[in-house]
Amino acid sequence: MQMTIGQYFPGDSPLHRMDPRAKILCTIALIAGVFIAQNLWAYALLFAFAFGVIAVSRIDARFIVKGLKPILFIMAFTFVINMFFTADGVELFSWRFIHITDKGLKSATLMALRLVLLVMTTQLLTLSTSSIALTDGIEALLKPLSKVGFPAHELAMMMSIAMRFIPTLMEETDKIMKAQMARGAEFESGNLIQRAKAMLPLLVPLFVSAFRRADELALAMEARCYRGGQGRTRMKQLKYSRLDAIGAAITLAVVVAAAII
Amino acid sequence: MPIEVRNLTHTYMPGTPFEKTALDDVSFTIGDGEFVGLIGHTGSGKSTLIMHLNGLLKPTSGEVIVDGLNLAEKGVSLRAVRERVGLVFQYPEYQLFEETVVADVMFGPKNLGLSEAECRARAEEALGQVGLRDAALWEKSPFELSGGQKRRVAIAGVLAMKPGTLILDEPTAGLDPRGRDEIMGLMKDIHAAGTTLIMVSHSMTDVSRLCGRILVMNRAKLTIDAAPAQVFADEKRIREAGLTLPPCAVLAEKLRAAGFEGIPREAYTQETVARAILAALGKGDAACK
Repeated sequence: MQMTIGQYFPGDSPLHRMDPRAKILCTIALIAGVFIAQNLWAYALLFAFAFGVIAVSRIDARFIVKGLKPILFIMAFTFVINMFFTADGVELFSWRFIHITDKGLKSATLMALRLVLLVMTTQLLTLSTSSIALTDGIEALLKPLSKVGFPAHELAMMMSIAMRFIPTLMEETDKIMKAQMARGAEFESGNLIQRAKAMLPLLVPLFVSAFRRADELALAMEARCYRGGQGRTRMKQLKYSRLDAIGAAITLAVVVAAAII
Repeated sequence: MPIEVRNLTHTYMPGTPFEKTALDDVSFTIGDGEFVGLIGHTGSGKSTLIMHLNGLLKPTSGEVIVDGLNLAEKGVSLRAVRERVGLVFQYPEYQLFEETVVADVMFGPKNLGLSEAECRARAEEALGQVGLRDAALWEKSPFELSGGQKRRVAIAGVLAMKPGTLILDEPTAGLDPRGRDEIMGLMKDIHAAGTTLIMVSHSMTDVSRLCGRILVMNRAKLTIDAAPAQVFADEKRIREAGLTLPPCAVLAEKLRAAGFEGIPREAYTQETVARAILAALGKGDAACK
């Protein structure tokens, strides 16, 4: 199974060592920067920064490329839509109802680049941060909202449980699929309806086991006196370091520069 | 219908930091009617190996030949392979999904493209084979059954495909002593009926009770391939593989060391050791029991 979005790539680079809160905030700033950036130079700067961060993180570039694969279709789609349906600007090519203008080409390119940048930056966050650190960071950042009744801890707990079980459920899916294939089931042939029907022998056991696991987990949590977030302390305290300040400063500089150019 | 494995190597996730060689140059042949025990510590590659035997995994290099069919070749019908080699996974009860027991057992034969009546007949036969003869049980939901019953239904689900070779991965895991005995008895019957059996386990005791040949896996390599008596004679290598001798073989060894040289190496199960001790004490078979 191929899924690199949300996968953690272990390492000990400065990017890995940054505080998850700082990384989340930097990512949000970069996403804002991507949307503010209006011309190719700004994009060039953002790309250069992203590649620089990849180099620093020592994450295998193949992982990033693999993560881009799922959005290839969306990229192609937005590119085509933007290219064909931008009417103003100088016409470059025209054939019957198809008109391609310089502005259309430019906005299509920018749109595609924007998507690539968005996925790359968010991937850098998830690849360099373990899911536990990530949810800890989200919880800490949302904490102020709990004053107005927002269930920050519960949300973070649900997220971390969900993320914790993604690999487990994938493994389970793989196991059940193999077991049914050993009984002659085929999951990859036939038309849409046949395929949907073929999923039944997979989905029923998967749901049964997911519910069983949920029950067991709830029991195990209660057995260890889990009573929600109130008064709960952490073994690993989040602490900002110099590294975070440096990272944030560089990111901010890049975003501001991208906005100004 | 022999199974031939030649220089089989399998690497998981090659080219990533999670790369792991699960099988390293494994070769052996299993002939018709054998009862083979495949044993090794957790993560030694047992499960990866058996998944190659019915084409669920493709070799990274090397080949697997079942009944003359080379599984690595293109165009080999996997369905034909799965009809020949049945595989019962660990905790097979988690694969049950149909509304009734009998419908679940019919799933395999149906995938072989058999008629409804034929599927039904095979399902009933298989359920009888695993000792679930009570027809009232057949129409129940598989989720209503006890753990041991569920497991037997799952085994019936594979038996109904009438494979010439049956592989069971840890068939007794998580069962109480009685359930364990029932499954062991069931395997003995299936073997007696002419099916080649491969049992995967990490319990030497279970393997020594039934198997005529033992394959020991250690860290992706096949380290021992011999009859039980020879395997147990080489305690050092067994320890290296992270395994222990069955208690009865240990007892026999200790007695031999203490001077009872009459106890043969061929005695390693509860029954044979008991007989050998009685014989050494000068008492006949009659005293056994």
